[in-house]
Amino acid sequence: MNSESFARLQHSELEHLTRRHFLSKCTTGLGAMWLSGMTGRAWGEPNRVVRDFANPMAPSLPHFAAKAKRVIYLHMAGAPSQHELFDYKPELQILHGKECPKEFLEGKQFAFIQGVPKMLGPQFPFRQYGQSGAWVSDRLPRFTSVVDDVCFIKSMHTDQFNHGPAQLLVHTGSQNLGAASIGAWATYGLGSENQNLPGFVVLTSGGKNPDAGKSVWGAGYLPSVYQGVQCRSEGEPVLYLRNPEGISGSMRRRSLDVLDRLNQKIAEDVGDEETVTRIAQYEMAYRMQMHATDAFELKQEPDSIHQLYGTQPGKESFANNCLLARRLAERGVRYIQLFHWGWDSHGASASEALNKGFNERCKEVDRPMTALLKDLKQRGLLEDTLVVWGGEFGRTPMLENRGGNDNPFVGRDHNPGGFTLWMAGGGVKPGISFGETDPIGYEAIKNKVSIHDLHATMMHLMGFDHEKFTYLSQGAEQRLSNITKPNSKVVSGILG
Amino acid sequence: MMIRRYILVQIMISSAFAEDGVRVEFNRDIRPIFAKHCTACHGGVKEAAGVSFIYRAKALAPAKSGLRPIVPFKPAESELVGRLRSRDPDEVMPKPKHGPPLPEADIALIERWIAQGAEWQDHWSFVAPVDPVAPAVSDGKWPSAPLDRFILNRLDREKLKPSPEASVGEWLRRVSFDLTGIPPSPEDFANFITAAAKDPKSARAAVVDRLLASLKFGERWASVWLDLARYSDTYGFEKDPRRDIWPYRDWVIRAFNADMPYDQFTIEQLAGDLLPNATADQRLATAFHRNTQTNTEGGTDDEEFRVAAVIDRISTTWTTWQATTFGCVQCHSHPYDPIEHEEFYQFFAFFNGTEDCDQDNDFPRMKVAEDPAATDEASRLELQMRIIREQLNQPGHALATTTADWKSFRPDVFAPSHGTLEIAPDGIIRSHGTLPTGNMHKVSGSAIPFTALRLRILTDSDDSKKWPERGSLVSKFEVNEIDQVGAVTRVEMKEVFVDHLGDPMAPEPSGNVGGFPKLEGPRWFVFVPAKEFKPRAGTKLEIRMIQDGETAGQQATQVRQFAIDCSNNPEWIDLVNQSARVAEWKAMGKMDASYQKIRGVKVPVMVDRAPRETRLFARGNRLVKDRVLSPGVPKLLAGSAATQGMNRLDMARWIASRENPLTARVMVNRLWSQLFGSGIVLTTEDFGTSGTPPSHPELLDHLAVRLEDHFHWSVKSMLREMVLSSTYRQTHKASKALLEKDPFNQLLSRGPRNRLSAEMVRDQALAVAGLLSPKMYGSPVFPPQPDGVWNSVYSESRWVESTGEDRYRRAIYTYSKRTSGYPSMLMFDAPNRDCCSARRVISNTPLQALVTLNDPVFIEAAKGFAKRMVTNRGDLAEQIAYGVQLVTQQVPTPEMLDDLVSLYNASVMDYESHPAEAVKLAESPAAAAFVLIASTILNLDSALTR
Repeated sequence: MNSESFARLQHSELEHLTRRHFLSKCTTGLGAMWLSGMTGRAWGEPNRVVRDFANPMAPSLPHFAAKAKRVIYLHMAGAPSQHELFDYKPELQILHGKECPKEFLEGKQFAFIQGVPKMLGPQFPFRQYGQSGAWVSDRLPRFTSVVDDVCFIKSMHTDQFNHGPAQLLVHTGSQNLGAASIGAWATYGLGSENQNLPGFVVLTSGGKNPDAGKSVWGAGYLPSVYQGVQCRSEGEPVLYLRNPEGISGSMRRRSLDVLDRLNQKIAEDVGDEETVTRIAQYEMAYRMQMHATDAFELKQEPDSIHQLYGTQPGKESFANNCLLARRLAERGVRYIQLFHWGWDSHGASASEALNKGFNERCKEVDRPMTALLKDLKQRGLLEDTLVVWGGEFGRTPMLENRGGNDNPFVGRDHNPGGFTLWMAGGGVKPGISFGETDPIGYEAIKNKVSIHDLHATMMHLMGFDHEKFTYLSQGAEQRLSNITKPNSKVVSGILG
Repeated sequence: MMIRRYILVQIMISSAFAEDGVRVEFNRDIRPIFAKHCTACHGGVKEAAGVSFIYRAKALAPAKSGLRPIVPFKPAESELVGRLRSRDPDEVMPKPKHGPPLPEADIALIERWIAQGAEWQDHWSFVAPVDPVAPAVSDGKWPSAPLDRFILNRLDREKLKPSPEASVGEWLRRVSFDLTGIPPSPEDFANFITAAAKDPKSARAAVVDRLLASLKFGERWASVWLDLARYSDTYGFEKDPRRDIWPYRDWVIRAFNADMPYDQFTIEQLAGDLLPNATADQRLATAFHRNTQTNTEGGTDDEEFRVAAVIDRISTTWTTWQATTFGCVQCHSHPYDPIEHEEFYQFFAFFNGTEDCDQDNDFPRMKVAEDPAATDEASRLELQMRIIREQLNQPGHALATTTADWKSFRPDVFAPSHGTLEIAPDGIIRSHGTLPTGNMHKVSGSAIPFTALRLRILTDSDDSKKWPERGSLVSKFEVNEIDQVGAVTRVEMKEVFVDHLGDPMAPEPSGNVGGFPKLEGPRWFVFVPAKEFKPRAGTKLEIRMIQDGETAGQQATQVRQFAIDCSNNPEWIDLVNQSARVAEWKAMGKMDASYQKIRGVKVPVMVDRAPRETRLFARGNRLVKDRVLSPGVPKLLAGSAATQGMNRLDMARWIASRENPLTARVMVNRLWSQLFGSGIVLTTEDFGTSGTPPSHPELLDHLAVRLEDHFHWSVKSMLREMVLSSTYRQTHKASKALLEKDPFNQLLSRGPRNRLSAEMVRDQALAVAGLLSPKMYGSPVFPPQPDGVWNSVYSESRWVESTGEDRYRRAIYTYSKRTSGYPSMLMFDAPNRDCCSARRVISNTPLQALVTLNDPVFIEAAKGFAKRMVTNRGDLAEQIAYGVQLVTQQVPTPEMLDDLVSLYNASVMDYESHPAEAVKLAESPAAAAFVLIASTILNLDSALTR
C-alpha cells in the first residue's frame, strides 16, 4: 500500500458516489473545485479509476495500453478432466488399474474418494497437432485445427475442491461470497464501448446456473451497476426488454416523449440532477430494446456461419451462445461470460461419467469453441479479444471410489492440485504450452499458475496493474488478485 | 449529497493549519497525517523497523535502531522529525518511492504537537459520546427539536438559510414512505390537508403518531434490518434449498412494531437463548445469526463451513452494531485501529460453542407452531426435554469417572467388513484400508461378565491443534453372545451415557455414538444393560459396529481407532433401574409425544453446547492453529466489561450497554441515513479510522445520547423527533442559488429527496392499483417473475406463482433465494443477502426503467391504477389529475396535465385503429389508453422518489 492509501480509504465511496454530481449537468463551480482538489496533490493518484455515475458504463482508459479490449470467458462448470483433453501423461497409463501409492494420498482431502483408490489412465488416445505440436485427445477433433492460436496453461492450481467455492474463486478471486467478479472489475475499470447493451453479459447454455449461483457474476463490493446481466438466447434476451402486450413501439415512443418532458419539468422545478440522469436512463433503455433485440437475432447470420458454429437459432445452447458472444464482442460489449454445464465426471451417473456424458459435453463444445476462435480471427477481432476456457479445478489421476465403493461408471474426483486452462487472442502468446503437472497429471510442478496469477494476468492484458486497480471495502484495498494473496503475479511467460 | 462529507474532510484538514499557540489535537491534526503517510508501513500490519504509530507507547519506545521516534516535549530529539525533514534519500520519510515529502506545515504541526507533549487521543468513535451543549442559532424560532440547532448553527456559519417548509403533499409523501414504506391514501392526504389548515403542528404530530402506530411501520423497518441480518429464505451455495426461517422475519416486524427498546432488541438477537427462562420469542430472535449459509454441496467439509458461519457471525455483529471492520483482524492486527489479531479469536470464542455444524437439516432448530399460542408450549417442551436429558445423563457421567474397575476387553477375532483391524498392547484397536460408508467392524473375544461397556472413539492425532478430524460415528452398536455352535444371543443395552450431549444425532442404546460430523477429540460412551451380563461357559462376546453415517458432504464417517472397556461396578445396573429414573424417561416420552403433536415449522436458532476449544488461526488459516484463547471483547472498547469469563450473553449486554461508544451512534446514524439519504457518517458500515468522519460530529453525539438517555432506546421516539424536526420538514426543492452554495445538500439546507427502495417501488405500484394485500407474516410468497430465472443445479425447486392475495403481498414477503434473487428487486439495488449489507448504494440504470415500464407486475398494477382513475368522478383531466395526485401527492401543473391528456387522446385514436392491440390491455381503446397513462405516471421521476 502506498502513502496515498489512507486518502483513498476515506474517499473511495465518494470516488464513485460523487462523480455523478461533479460531472452531471448541474455541477457548479464549487463541485468542480473539489474535483480538481481530488485530482490534485492531496488526493492525486494516477492509477485511481474515476467513474461517472451519471454514465457508469462510459468507456474509460486503463493504466496502460491494453492488449485485450474485451474478454470472452468460456467456463466449463463442473471441471473437465485434463487427463482426457489436454494433459497427456503416458506414465499414468502405465499405472492404470494399480492401487494408488500412499504418498499421493497422505495429507490430501478429497471430495469423495475414500481410502485407497485405483489409478486411472487416460481414457482416450492423444496426438500432437499443429506447428506447435499441442497434445489434444481425440474428443476434440475440430479444436485440433486451431491449437496454433491457443496458449495452454497446464499448471493451473487452486485451493478449493468444491464446485461452489472454487467457481467463486475463479470468478471473484475469493472462495467466499462478497467479492467482485472479473467482469464487474472490467466494466468498473473500462466501462463499455456500447452504451445500448449491458457492458457485462452472462450467457448460460441450457442446463443450470453455476453451482455458486449468480454471485459468480456479481458486483460484490463494487457498485451493483457493474454486476453481470444474465441474457438469454431464448425468449427475451434481457429481462423485461420487450414492451408489454398491447403497447407498440410507437406508443412507447410517444409515451416516453411525454415522460421525458414531464421529468424535465420536474428536474427544473426540483433541481435534482438524479432526475436528469433518469431521463437519460429511460432513453438508454429504449435504445437497448432495439439494440439488444438486434444483437440477439441469430437469424441474421448467414448459413455458412451457422454451419461453422453448429447453431440452431431459438434454442438455448452453447453453440448459440458462442455465436452470440462474437456478435456481442463485435458490438463492443466489454465482458462476455459463458457457462457450459455438466463436466463433473465422477462416474456416479451416466451423465457425469468419462465413458458417457463427457463425450456429449465434448461434442457440444468442440465445434462452437473452434468456430468462435476462427470467426474472431477472420474478422480481425481475435487480436484484441481475450478468450479464456477452463473449469474451476482439475480431476484426480485416480478412479473415483465414492464412499469407498466402486462407482457404476468411470470417473475422477475433484483435484485442486493441477488442471489445464487455455487462452487465445488478446495479447497472449499463441501456439504455446506453459507449465507442467507431475508425470501423472496430479499436481502442477513447473511454472505453477494460481487463480490469482490468472487474474493478475487478465488484468494486465486489460491494461491494469492488478496491485493498483483496487477498491476500498471492509477497511482494505480490495483487488481481483486478492489482497490476502500478496504473491499473485502476472504470468509473463504467456504474454505475446 | 454525498459530497458534504468530502468538504468536511477538507475543512478538517485545513483546520490543521491552525495558527501557532493553539493546542494541537491528536485526532483532529495528527492522526490524519499518520494515517495518510505513515501507518501503511508503520501500523498494525507492518511495523517496519519496529516503528508503529497506532499506539502511543509503541511510538515512544525505541525502534530497532535504538532511536525513539517520538520524545515528548523534545521535537529535536524525536527521530520522526529528523526523518521527515531529512534530505538524504536513504533517510527521508516517507521513502521517495512511497510518496513525496510531507508539506512543511504538516511537519511543523507534528513538531508543535511533540513540543506540547505528544498527547494521544483515541479515535473519535472509540470514545463514548457526551451530549454537547446545543449551539446558539440565528433564529430561535426555526428549531423544533434540539437536533435542528446543530443543523442551523452550521448553516449560520456557512451563511445559509434553511429552505422553506415543504408543501403538505411533499412532507406527507416523504414521511409516509420513510415510516411505513407506502404512499398515503387519498383519504390520509385529504384529512391531513384539512387538519394542517387548522393547526399544522398538531396535524403533523397526528400523522406521525398514526404512521408509527401502523403495522406497516414494522414491515418497512424490518427490510432495513433484514439486510444487516442477511435474511434469506434459502441456505445458499450450490443447491440453495429452502430454509424456513421466516418466523424470524416476523419477529423483526413485530419487534419494530412493538418498539422493542434497541438494547433489548440487540440482546435478544445475539443471545436471547441464554437469557434466564428464555421465552420462545427470545429464542426465535437468535435466528439472526442462523441466517448464515449452510453448504449442502456433495464433497464439502462441514467444519469448513461451520467455521465460515462463525466468522460471518463475527463480522456481521461488528458491522451491524459497531460499524467496525473486524474482518481484517482475522488474519492480522488491524492496520489502522488498535485491535489485535488475538482479539478476533477471543470474539470468535463467543460463537464457537453452539451446536450448529453445517448440517443439511440446519440443526439445531426450534419449532414455531402454526397456532401462535402453541409456540410457547413447544419451546417449553424443547427446553424441558433438554434439561431432563442432561439430568438423566449426569449420574452416568459422574459414575463413569468414579468407576475404578474399567478393564480392557481384548478381542482375539477381527472380522471387519472392509480393511483390517489390529489391537495394540494398550487395547486400542486401529483400522487400516478403505472403509466405505456402511462398513462394519466386527470383533469377538472370550466372553466376560460386565455391568457396563465403555466404547472410546479415539482421534488419529494426539495433538489437539490438528482437531477436529474427519467424523467417526458408530451408527449401530450391537453386542452378541455366541455359543460354541454359533448361536447368537443379543445382549440388549438399556441405556447409553455420554461424555457430553449436543451432537446433531442423539446417542441411543443401539448406536448413533461418536463424533459427527467431525471428531472434535476423543469421545466415550457407556452402554449399560438392564441386568448384569453373565456369560455362559465357553461363549464369546461379539461386538458389531456398523458405520452407516455420511456427512452432508457425502463423506463417510468411519471409526478409525477405538477401544472397549468393561466394568463390573454394580452401581451401573442400579442406576438404570432406579424407579424415579424409569419414570423420568417415561415422562420424557410423554412430553415428546405432545411435542410431536404440535404442528409447525422448525426454525434454526442458536443453542449452546459444551464449548469447543478456540485457538488462534495463524494468518487466518483455520488449518494452522495456534494458542488457545478464551472469550473476550477487544480491550480498546471493553470499558468496564469483565476481561475474563464472559459468555455470549455478557458480550451482547456489553454491546447494548451505554458504556459502548459505538452502538447508539451506529444506530442513530442508520436511522438518519434512512431518512436523509446518507448518514452523518457516510460509511454507515465503518466508523473506524478508514471510514469517513462525521459531517456533524456534535449532532451525531447528541442523537446517540438522546436515543440512550432520553428515549431509553426507543426507535420510534427517535424517528418521531427526526421526522417532526424542522430540518426534515424543509422542502427538497433547490433554487439555482442554493445549488451553488450547497450543491449536494451536505449541510441539510433543504429537505431530502431519495429514490424509493426496491421494496417501495413494488409496494407503491400495488398500493395505488388497489391491489396491495394487507396480509401480514407467514410463509414467503411467489409473485410473478419471468420464466427461466430459477435454474439452480441439483435442485428441483420451481417458482410456482402464488395465487389470490399472496400474489399482491408487500415486497418483504417475497421469497428471497440467495443464488437467484427476485430480479426486479435486485435491479433496484436490493442486496442478494449473501452477507451482511449495511448500506444500499443507490444506482440509476436503464434496467430499472425496463422493470417499471415492462415488468408484467407493473403492467398489472397500471391496469388496476387505471381503473381507479376511470372510476373517479370528474372529466378526463380531473381523473388524470386524481391519478397523479394518488401517486405523487402533488397537484399536476396545467402543462403537465395537458401533456398527459394529449397522450391519452393520441393513444385512444391509436387503439381505435388497432383494437386488437387494445384488448390485450383492457376492454376498450379508452381503457387501454388509460393503462398507458397509468404506466406513464408510475414512471414519473416524482413517483420513483420520496
